[in-house]
Amino acid sequence: MLFFSFFKTLVDHEVTIELKNDLCITGTLKSVDQFLNIKLDEIRVKDEARYPHLAAVKNVFIRGSVVRYVHLPANAVDTALLEDATRREAGNAAGGKGR
Amino acid sequence: MSFFGFDPSANPSQRGHPSKAPGFGETPDHFAGLQARHDEDDDGIDFEDTYDGLGDTLDETDDVFNDDTFGATTTDRDFDFAGATAKVADVIEEEHAVYTRSNTRKQSAKQTPAPASAVPETSQLPALVPDMSLWGAPPPAPVPAPQHQHHDFMTQPAAMPSTGKRFMSLEEVEAQILAMNQKPSAPPPQQAPRQFQHHVPTSQPMGNQFHQQLPPPHTPSPGVPMNQFGHPTMDLRGFPPQQQLPPHLQHMMQQNQMPQHPQHPQQLHQDRGVAQQPAVQQRVNPREQEPVVPPQGRNQYGMTTHIPMPAQQLQSMSEADRARFLEEESKRLKRNHKIAQLARYNGLMTPQDKNFIQRIQLQQLVSINSAEDNVNEDFYYIVHSAIRARSNPQQPLSQLAQTYLFRHGGRGNRRQDNHLQRMEQQVARAVAAAKARPKASQLVLEGSLGKISFSNVKTPRPMLNIKKSEGGADQTKKVEHMSVGSQRALISQEAQKPSLADRKSLLRAIENVYDALLELEIHERDRSKLPTLPPGQPPQEAHAQWSMKRDQLAYKLYSETKIHLPIDFSSHYTHPFVAILSFSKMKRAIPRVFRHLDPEQRLTVLTMIVVHLDILDVVKHGIYRPDEMQLPSAHREEIDTFANHVLPPLLGYMYEASFPVVHGLLKLMLDRVDVQPVSMTKIGLSFLTMFLSRAELLKQSGQVSEHEAMEWQNVYDRLFATLNGHWNDCFPPNGKFVDDQYVWQFLASMAVGANMQQQQTLVAAVKDRVLENVQASKILPPEIGVQKRENVNLFMRAMGLDVDLLG
Repeated sequence: MLFFSFFKTLVDHEVTIELKNDLCITGTLKSVDQFLNIKLDEIRVKDEARYPHLAAVKNVFIRGSVVRYVHLPANAVDTALLEDATRREAGNAAGGKGR
Repeated sequence: MSFFGFDPSANPSQRGHPSKAPGFGETPDHFAGLQARHDEDDDGIDFEDTYDGLGDTLDETDDVFNDDTFGATTTDRDFDFAGATAKVADVIEEEHAVYTRSNTRKQSAKQTPAPASAVPETSQLPALVPDMSLWGAPPPAPVPAPQHQHHDFMTQPAAMPSTGKRFMSLEEVEAQILAMNQKPSAPPPQQAPRQFQHHVPTSQPMGNQFHQQLPPPHTPSPGVPMNQFGHPTMDLRGFPPQQQLPPHLQHMMQQNQMPQHPQHPQQLHQDRGVAQQPAVQQRVNPREQEPVVPPQGRNQYGMTTHIPMPAQQLQSMSEADRARFLEEESKRLKRNHKIAQLARYNGLMTPQDKNFIQRIQLQQLVSINSAEDNVNEDFYYIVHSAIRARSNPQQPLSQLAQTYLFRHGGRGNRRQDNHLQRMEQQVARAVAAAKARPKASQLVLEGSLGKISFSNVKTPRPMLNIKKSEGGADQTKKVEHMSVGSQRALISQEAQKPSLADRKSLLRAIENVYDALLELEIHERDRSKLPTLPPGQPPQEAHAQWSMKRDQLAYKLYSETKIHLPIDFSSHYTHPFVAILSFSKMKRAIPRVFRHLDPEQRLTVLTMIVVHLDILDVVKHGIYRPDEMQLPSAHREEIDTFANHVLPPLLGYMYEASFPVVHGLLKLMLDRVDVQPVSMTKIGLSFLTMFLSRAELLKQSGQVSEHEAMEWQNVYDRLFATLNGHWNDCFPPNGKFVDDQYVWQFLASMAVGANMQQQQTLVAAVKDRVLENVQASKILPPEIGVQKRENVNLFMRAMGLDVDLLG
């Protein structure tokens, strides 16, 4: 759930999503779900000449499983908090059975 | 032939939802082929109309035998009884049949139980009628496409009464033929929609009401002619009851606060047919279950219909009544229109789709509702939002939580509120039930080679299943366990224990600090959940418990830092606290830890660091080697981290410290630490500067007694003597071009407390440096140059001099 939790904080930020088919889409993150499916608004495709069919597309829904990378806006990420969240996540996973 | 705008040329079978359209559980239409042929004849498309005359040019010599070959008339009209009888009349027959059937149905409602003999025949009927879906009760399947039906009600004219004899024969013969073919087509299971109703918490009560209200009480409508044909009365069984209504309709009705009394749509039909006969609108709230009012007034779509009244009744109405009636009538029409709009997208999703989505939503709710889970699972989001909320107080709640749980909005009437409350309760109950259900995440089938893992909202689908080794956890448990044990035993053990010295266990210790820290911070955040206390009131139970827990956690944090462990100078192991402080991770934690410590503990931390200053990694690695012009980057980073994270809280503490503390610390440092190498480092000098400037500040503010001042002077002299002759070593190599501000700060704080002789010594020692810097400040770019100058001036001014005097 850490990634889900993390991506939720990026809603309304601009992200760039790199898909497994090398398509690279930049847009405003509108929503994300627990499968890390992603909804983008006002999208731009990086290599527009190669994908002319996407020139007119304004928003997309991306299935989480086809995402290779998400480029994050650095200033929207709280690294220290992310470390703590990771600790908690690890703690939950380890203590999950015992607790 | 056109009644009420009805287009008789249109094929009736093409109206309504195509029974073969995908997505609906349609009955197999065994007469599809039959019907198609039927259509050919019914249609206005005629060969003669479309013929272009090309055939005239053909050789017609052998046409004599055409009849033998192709037949004189269109082929195969065996079943086309109506068409064969009268091409024109068939549309009338069609309508007539429909109309009659509606009457029979009405009658049957009154005349239950129906004769058993009628059952097989009538139950076949619906499939035969081309437009049966029109009646909102298609034989076996859920209502396919309500919007079509709705429009059909509006456009379908009232049937024309006719002699019906011919019709009778058509009906019966066709029914017989059908009876032979359609036997196997039993109504498909009605389970799916009902299950769904039960599963969905929000719609459940509606479903129940439906069940309760079956069969619907019908009042006979006076405007409807009786069954003229003596047609066998139909059993209602031929028409699936309202409980089959797809849930979306129920939702719709919920939303509109409509009483949902199942009523056969013909009534609407009739209303139209009888040309807006007046009626008393019956508004019934089904939830209240008023027994007096017959629950009639809405059809299955929640559209209101009214009970037709004889025309004389309208006339007998007063003006006011009539006006009121008309007003209600217009309201009703408006509402019907609205519902029709809403119903446009009905049936887009199958019950399975909705079921699936509802399950996801429910799972989501389960995790939203449990606060503990929430903090665990959604830590980053919650804390991040909290941090952002500080700058932006209008942080919206999670959308879903808003929709489902916090809709206490003032809109809507009391009934609606009540309804919402009920809904919320139901959601809460469903959530509780879902939580109570044991969550098995895996299923291992006997004899299978793998595991089947279920996905849920938190773990969509585990792709990797890494087995955790229990070793690491055990080790930490052991350590924890020991710390619970007697302190005495611990002292010797910890001191001699090499395990703490190895890197892995040190990192583990740091993680323990972080865990304790996080726990404490979460607990601190819970403070806002406590009821606010009016000033002057004794703390309540909750507050007392909260602070007790806080103290516990704070102590746990403190002990995790290992700072309380006594210092053993004879041991060659580094003190655990100093050891873990050598990691930048721990350095970064210090300001956060410091916040939760009481003054005494803070002093302990400071003392611990001061006492071990010479073995602190940042000091050890902060000394320049003879041939080095620059420290290795890793060490520089560590030093920066220390300066940025550890020093500020210590400085903060120092600037409030009393004179004896400052004095004691400096004395301790001189006693325990080899000051000379410490003075060669940035961090060491920072500490010295810290003590000296604080002491000077206290001395100047006059808070220091004579005796204390004397003692301080002793310590100062000791320090001066120790460092005398090494002043130049304080500077980093190549000091001209690197930041040496801290050295000048230190020298300035030394100079302030120095006597005349000491000052002279100091100036003589660093004279070269001063000149070097002043010169460098002239060569260097202006901003750096000014800075250099200022640094030197800091020192000069402390002795009452100025760089400008040097020229």
